Amino acid sequence: MEPQDRIMDGDLQTLGLQSILKMLALSGKTGTLLVHSGPETLVISLRKGQLVALHEEGVPQPDLLGMLCLINKLDPPRAHRLREASQGNIQVALSIMVEQGWMAASEMQRRLEFAVTQSISHALRWVDGRFAFHRHMLSIESRMQPLDVDSVLLEALRQADEWEEMGETPLTRTTVSRWLPEVSKDVRSLGLNQEHIDVLCLSNGEIPLQGMALALMLPEARVARIMARLIELHLIEVVDTSLEAELQQDLSNIIIMCQHTLAQQRQNNTPIQHLLGLINTLGQCINGLLIHHGTYAKSLRGRGQLPISEIVRYLERRFSQPLQLLARQQYPILETATFSNGQLDYSEIVNLDSLVKGEQLEEFYWEAVLGLNSFLRTVFATLLQDEVGNSHTGRQLNVVWKAFLTEVEQEMQQYQLYRAHQNVQQNRARRTDALPNGQNGNARVARYDGNPQGWPETQRRTI
Amino acid sequence: MVEPTVLVVDDSPTVRKIVQMTLQREHIRVITASDGLSALTSVADEIPAVILLDIQLPRMDGYHICQIIRKNLQFRQIPIIMLSGKDGLFDKMRGRLAGSTEYLTKPFDSVELVQTVKKHLVDWQSRMPARNNDMRPRLRRRG
Repeated sequence: MEPQDRIMDGDLQTLGLQSILKMLALSGKTGTLLVHSGPETLVISLRKGQLVALHEEGVPQPDLLGMLCLINKLDPPRAHRLREASQGNIQVALSIMVEQGWMAASEMQRRLEFAVTQSISHALRWVDGRFAFHRHMLSIESRMQPLDVDSVLLEALRQADEWEEMGETPLTRTTVSRWLPEVSKDVRSLGLNQEHIDVLCLSNGEIPLQGMALALMLPEARVARIMARLIELHLIEVVDTSLEAELQQDLSNIIIMCQHTLAQQRQNNTPIQHLLGLINTLGQCINGLLIHHGTYAKSLRGRGQLPISEIVRYLERRFSQPLQLLARQQYPILETATFSNGQLDYSEIVNLDSLVKGEQLEEFYWEAVLGLNSFLRTVFATLLQDEVGNSHTGRQLNVVWKAFLTEVEQEMQQYQLYRAHQNVQQNRARRTDALPNGQNGNARVARYDGNPQGWPETQRRTI
Repeated sequence: MVEPTVLVVDDSPTVRKIVQMTLQREHIRVITASDGLSALTSVADEIPAVILLDIQLPRMDGYHICQIIRKNLQFRQIPIIMLSGKDGLFDKMRGRLAGSTEYLTKPFDSVELVQTVKKHLVDWQSRMPARNNDMRPRLRRRG
């Protein structure tokens, strides 16, 4: 927008949004009002003093279609088709819903009106910021009937007042909540009304309070009250998004590190070295996860700096039992692995080569790989459930984790293929040995041939 | 507004998924490719704002892909961040000679990754008008 098109500008401390809008409406202005505060920007289009469109920048747009699915107002296949057809434009999606008869035209208008009111109500509470009014209208697509500025302001002020009446509350419009995983009681017995149930349905750990208000067309303050009640009833918890971001970052770094170690060990030349490399990768990964959990475990959080001994005790209490169980029931070799200072000490497994050699060593190592792989899965599953539960972050981390496990399994399959190939060769050799002299064919024992590709193909190249 | 896209080329599904998850958290659109040929197809189809390119890939290595992109007038401006497990001076030099913009050593830190990508996305935004002009004759010819 050209500076010469600017009719007026100023800061919100001098002239509040309410006064600016009233003034523009009274003088029947046409143009675009830009209001900035911090990273947020509100773009309001006016035609002859009436509000025709509004667009919020700097705020991620909530997934209205997904939310309508969660509260049973839209079925997922339809939502999928709508997403594709509207390419993420919610106004287009709503008008398709009206065209298809899935929503009344009046409901679409109410939803669009509500979204405008909600944004203005939020901006009315901005103290610092600047505004500018330009004579040209930005081409914001809008399917909304023009709105009377006075009535929008009245409702927006009422909603803003409701927030003020809430007083001191830790809940904000960006608060995200999620169901507590351990809830098993029948929520119908708690006497919750439909609004409470809807908020409960939307508490999936992804949708901010503001998004819930938009989907349910309830003032944000009322949604905050409902959320507070559900927290009291221990049905939901508030998700600390910054903590989850930090936690996700830390786990990502551990997985990247382990993937790198896994890739490095592919350069090993012999089956024994390959297995040893896998043992070290799995062990390093387990210990990385244990260090991580010592920082982010739910019961250790928010208690300030804890003595190392307490963290160690917690980790050992939590993970030594599953390790012992695996050792007793499936992989006796794990009996040689112990916990020391909150870390898994598997040095006895690594040093087995000083006690046994050849095939027997290979068999022990293979059992250790299977056992550690199984323990690694247990550690990660326990840790994820405790730290983030079945949240959006949890699900994303699970996807990454599965990809890593697939790579580990591919490595393990390489060894299995080698063993199978070796067995076939040995059987063949035995059979030919039984034949009369001079008919023993070209029996060959499978080798790594200086790289892990020396046996059945599929191994990919790595750095 | 056009959304910037980052192309991640790595044969490891773990690395692809981690980079995707990390950048998506920053509201950056990510597309992925597991080998050189599909990477070049994605470059032509999507014209990404930044390319994260692993060096050792099946069939065609990262250096080769980098050279092909740099020789193409339409795509030569795209920043290419090489991802490699080798951090030797020789490897870095080889990457530079092939035309890479930056070099990240594996295992990389996710914060460092985001910072590096964002740095080049800022450049992309300033390149946008020129890029649109470049596209015009091509679109006209098609029409």
